[in-house]
Amino acid sequence: MSPSPDQINANPAIPDWNEVRAALTSAMAERILVLDGAMGTMIQRLGLTEENFRGERFKDWSHPLKGNNDLLVLTEPKVIEDIHLDYYLAGADIVETNTFSATSVAQADYACEEAVYDINFQGVVCARRAALRAEAIDGRRRFVAGALGPTNKTSSMSTDVNSPGHRAISFDELVEAYGEAIRGLVDAGADLLLFETITDTLNTKAGIFAAQRLFEERGIDVPIMISGTITDLSGRTLSGQTPTAFWYSARHSRPITIGLNCALGANLMRDHIAELSGVADTFICAYPNAGLPNEMGAYDETPEQMAAQLEVFASDGLLNIVGGCCGSTPDHIRAIAATAARFAPRQVPHADRLLRLAGLEAFTLTKDIPFVNIGERTNVTGSARFRKLITAGDYTAALDVARDQVANGAQVIDINMDEGLIDSKQVMIEFLNLLAAEPDIAKVPLMIDSSKWEVIEAGLKCVQGKALVNSISLKEGEEAFIHHAKLVKAYGAAVVVMAFDETGQADTKARKVEICARAYKILVEVVGLPPEDIIFDPNVFAVATGIEEHNNYGVDFIEATKEITDALPHVHISGGISNLSFSFRGNEPVREAMHAVFLYYAIQNGMDMGIVNAGQLAVYESIDKELRDACEDVILNRRADSTDRMLELAERYKGQAGGEGKAKDLSWRELPVGERISHALVNGITEYIEADTEEARLSFERPLHVIEGPLMSGMNVVGDLFGSGKMFLPQVVKSARVMKQAVAYLLPFMEEEKNADGNATGRRSAGKVLMATVKGDVHDIGKNIVGVVLACNNYEIIDLGVMVPTQKILETAKAENVDIIGLSGLITPSLDEMVHVASEMEREGFDIPLLIGGATTSRVHTAVKIHPRYARGQAVHVNDASRAVGVVSNLLSNDTKVTFIDQVRAEYAKAAAAHERAESEKRRLPLVSARENAFKPDWSGYTPPKPSFIGKREFADFDLAELATFIDWTPFFQTWELKGRYPAILQDEKQGEAARALWADAQSMLKQIIEEKWFVPKAVVGFWPANAVGDDIRLFTGEDRKDELATLFTLRQQLSKRDGKPNLALSDFIAPATSGKADYIGGFAVTAGIEEVAIAERFERANDDYSSILVKALADRYAEALAEYMHLRVRREFWGYAADEALSNDDLLTETYQGIRPAPGYPAQPDHTEKTTLFRLLDTENSVGITLTESFAMWPGSSVSGLYFSHPDAYYFGVAKVERDQVLDYAQRKGMAVEEVERWLGPILNYMPGAVAAE
Amino acid sequence: MSRMEPIPVTLLTEPGQLVPLDADTALIRLSANSGHGHADGDTCVACAAQTDVRALLYNLLEEHRRDMRPAFTRVVVDASAVSDKTQVVAALTGRLPAQALRDHTVARMFVLVG
Repeated sequence: MSPSPDQINANPAIPDWNEVRAALTSAMAERILVLDGAMGTMIQRLGLTEENFRGERFKDWSHPLKGNNDLLVLTEPKVIEDIHLDYYLAGADIVETNTFSATSVAQADYACEEAVYDINFQGVVCARRAALRAEAIDGRRRFVAGALGPTNKTSSMSTDVNSPGHRAISFDELVEAYGEAIRGLVDAGADLLLFETITDTLNTKAGIFAAQRLFEERGIDVPIMISGTITDLSGRTLSGQTPTAFWYSARHSRPITIGLNCALGANLMRDHIAELSGVADTFICAYPNAGLPNEMGAYDETPEQMAAQLEVFASDGLLNIVGGCCGSTPDHIRAIAATAARFAPRQVPHADRLLRLAGLEAFTLTKDIPFVNIGERTNVTGSARFRKLITAGDYTAALDVARDQVANGAQVIDINMDEGLIDSKQVMIEFLNLLAAEPDIAKVPLMIDSSKWEVIEAGLKCVQGKALVNSISLKEGEEAFIHHAKLVKAYGAAVVVMAFDETGQADTKARKVEICARAYKILVEVVGLPPEDIIFDPNVFAVATGIEEHNNYGVDFIEATKEITDALPHVHISGGISNLSFSFRGNEPVREAMHAVFLYYAIQNGMDMGIVNAGQLAVYESIDKELRDACEDVILNRRADSTDRMLELAERYKGQAGGEGKAKDLSWRELPVGERISHALVNGITEYIEADTEEARLSFERPLHVIEGPLMSGMNVVGDLFGSGKMFLPQVVKSARVMKQAVAYLLPFMEEEKNADGNATGRRSAGKVLMATVKGDVHDIGKNIVGVVLACNNYEIIDLGVMVPTQKILETAKAENVDIIGLSGLITPSLDEMVHVASEMEREGFDIPLLIGGATTSRVHTAVKIHPRYARGQAVHVNDASRAVGVVSNLLSNDTKVTFIDQVRAEYAKAAAAHERAESEKRRLPLVSARENAFKPDWSGYTPPKPSFIGKREFADFDLAELATFIDWTPFFQTWELKGRYPAILQDEKQGEAARALWADAQSMLKQIIEEKWFVPKAVVGFWPANAVGDDIRLFTGEDRKDELATLFTLRQQLSKRDGKPNLALSDFIAPATSGKADYIGGFAVTAGIEEVAIAERFERANDDYSSILVKALADRYAEALAEYMHLRVRREFWGYAADEALSNDDLLTETYQGIRPAPGYPAQPDHTEKTTLFRLLDTENSVGITLTESFAMWPGSSVSGLYFSHPDAYYFGVAKVERDQVLDYAQRKGMAVEEVERWLGPILNYMPGAVAAE
Repeated sequence: MSRMEPIPVTLLTEPGQLVPLDADTALIRLSANSGHGHADGDTCVACAAQTDVRALLYNLLEEHRRDMRPAFTRVVVDASAVSDKTQVVAALTGRLPAQALRDHTVARMFVLVG
């Protein structure tokens, strides 16, 4: 494919690329360089015809060529050169050649494959001419970047969603295609290569591979720029990678810049550039589109708008090179250049030498990760089940195995297809291609594992992320080793190196260390592989085989690990652990124990990765002492007869199932007391805890030591299991119950000791946490759960209970010198109360962290409303109990506090910005227009049903068993953070076990509740003649509708984009007075009764938080069930409009019946103060004993109230945000001060009350 | 993710066609073009994401994941402004080549019902 002689600039000047790199590097240290803008936009403006595109050379071409813009460098070179010149003169330092689609892959659309080399070559020539002209004009040096587009095919994804394993193009084909284009660019002397608009990282890895191969052939090093594209909300590349994962995957090209282009305009690119800027230790280049058209189909951003957006990038120090993509013009570049000139360039950060891998998401092996679990279940040599699935060709089930491993916490998964019966290479390719389409698996990096290099290489050609190769070695000599290592580097992977050389596998410590040192030297000095990408596997061999030479293998590995990591900087140590216990095949308890003991010592000595089945790893501390000692004797080679003793002991464990089977029998009662306590804690068994605690107390010097010793270490196990997702909330709360009872048993002894010795110090806690449900709110289940979980983790909890005024929170916080405050609330007014607490904390000079939690709280609310009010400290939203421990420990640790808070702030800034954008897009209708679009059913043809009685009626003496059948259990499980629908949750793979246990406990308590009549539910229902008057509902004393009884005020939706839907208010469902129809409204209030409160307190006093939370959760369910039950009777009997309704319980739960029962304070009427009217009408205090707090929460908490509407078209809706015009109108109707209304409607105001007033 | 019941998608092709919308329904309106300074029929990957129904469906999932929109159990796509409706149908039935990993997710999470 030779260039056409007539167009070649006889001697294109070939740059010295090292000089180019140095010149750009020093320029970028001084200022922000400018890249050009869009080429396509400029070409389109010229209105070229088919003839222009064809020129002489393609005069008689078979395909239409208009639109093949790249051809113009051959057929209209002057046009392209002039556009380049315009950009240079507008201020660009670098222009991109007009070669975006100039690969054989993309040119195939026009059958122009044969012109690819020429286009690339001439593309550089055009740009170079312009560069020289520009330099002649103003004396400034200009650069030419050879542009390489993504091609129009993808190698890491299928284009067919029904056949996810299919690939339209292979890595090798892309290497060829890119190679040809790059040769053209390099031969013509491009200063840089720019891989841009990257939609598939694997394509670009093929391009990098081709470029580096050419560089190596020619002994050159052309600087590479890498630029990806993000186009959707997920903030990921089209091939699914996060920006950081993308960077890790392309980092091996040592690019001079990494960045993003195209995308959705500057504003929407900013967060992603910021992410790259934070992680990339190279220069950053950003060139967004000139915005996106607005919804009116209108205009791109003007130069000034685009420059203004990019100014924020520059002022935040995110830029080294900036330019424009689609829609930008020389005018845009001029404006951007002027802006860029005013700011200092970004400083390139230092990146530590850490192992950085990527799947769709990034993985960094930091110091905080003591050990990387590499999942081994997708290894046909390690898992019989996986082997069967693969040999049977059942890829779907095989992918599920991979998915489970990731779900169970594997940080990397090992894929091995070395099985004699299958074509390992082909199966590796097929499996990896299928896996790539599963985002929940592909998110983690892969370890491509084979003893055959060709299988590894085939695998590397399938993965877009940065993978691990397992493994290479010096087995076949240095030449093969270097060859493989260079390919590992060229494919951008990290590598496991076996301690294996020409003479065999290293068995002794000396051999292991010697081979690893030799390999290290070759890899780092000859191949140039970064040392942090090297993982040594010093060979784990079987011990206790009966052969004396094997006895020291464990020691050899552990000691070699230490020497290797001490002597060879930045490397990692891995190993296949299961080899160790080979002699004990079939004896799982012994094998698990051996692995645990081995890892315990190896990790201490520097081992940081391993191929293990995480689910089957015993905890070192929980292994029987006798067995553990025997394991240690064997592994550490401590005595000559250790193997014999181990064999003897192993007999006893034979036939046991390993870890999981043990809980069912009582053999744990034989264990030493410390382990019994630990077992009881992990399994939540209270039965023996007092006896065990007493026994422990007698053996320790002081009762405190029992807490700090066996009890705390047991709770640490619980905390770890919970933290790693292996235990669930109900189980943890049960553990806490055991703990509390043990501590309660010890307390009298500690008191006694204190009295005897005034100096005795108390228990040291990890920190003091004050928790409170804010003023006006009575809900505390979530708060109690968080309290229990924190207490489990050795935090001291000061729980102020419910309805706590701000002043009491602050005073207690000062008096007790607490480390952290946690606020909880469920109803919307609590949101404002929390803002108030935050403001008061700021005013009083607090700087301790403030945690925000509860059902109505949200990350966005915390970010937008609470966080800005508390600048001295930090407000953090904690959405569930499982996060609480992590958040609190981060906030209280001197090491992590600053970084954590920085993260939170960055996250909140992002959330607040997103919220603001979303809000500004939601325009509201004026109230008048909203009313015009009200819901107007045809009243003339409708007769509202008449209730069977008027006024209120009370109900009591409910059958608790009958009510129980109305319970909706799904929210019950949600209370316990078990997410899923009942009854499916009981069979859930992960949570099922925990859910079933909770369900059993709930059922047995429910039985007691029913038999012993724990609750005394009450209900009151009323109906009144009513008609709508505007947005109000007027209630009358009698059928004559003369005397008004009360008015219920409603709020109307002001959403603007209704798509034919009405703007609803609840009053729309009641016949207007003008219709002349006699309509009615109903109201109700029900409660499970006050008894729950005393019962819960009784459990708390007995140190049984589990049962306390359980009874509250059940009382809540009872109240909801009673509301459902009463509504049913209203429909069938009392109002009777659906007398023949026959609905199953499921239908009830999905609310398919006629009529609704909305509650004040909830979406259809967000004003909580409306409860006052309803409660007055129902006289709730006397009829059912429910009162309202100052925030209009109901007391007792397990209560439900609402209005009844009978209209067949009535449905639940959300008022959403309202404008000030409605607030003014509403305040006037209701006779309430505007400020007062604004206070209660705070969360739904679509404006800042203060801001409007100030105008 | 792949284990869930797919979310039904209803396609509107005629202007003025009415469908019942409720709180559980998400609405997507497809615009006729991206209006982004490209030649007719030409798009860059970014504006393709604005006109491709799959990208917009994916954004719905993403908005829900980020608490920017409530849960939805069905989707109505108003394609009345689009000139070539067969493209939209092809995209929703897995017959249009996938351009991004998200298209695979969308193919599993949504099903065209009418």
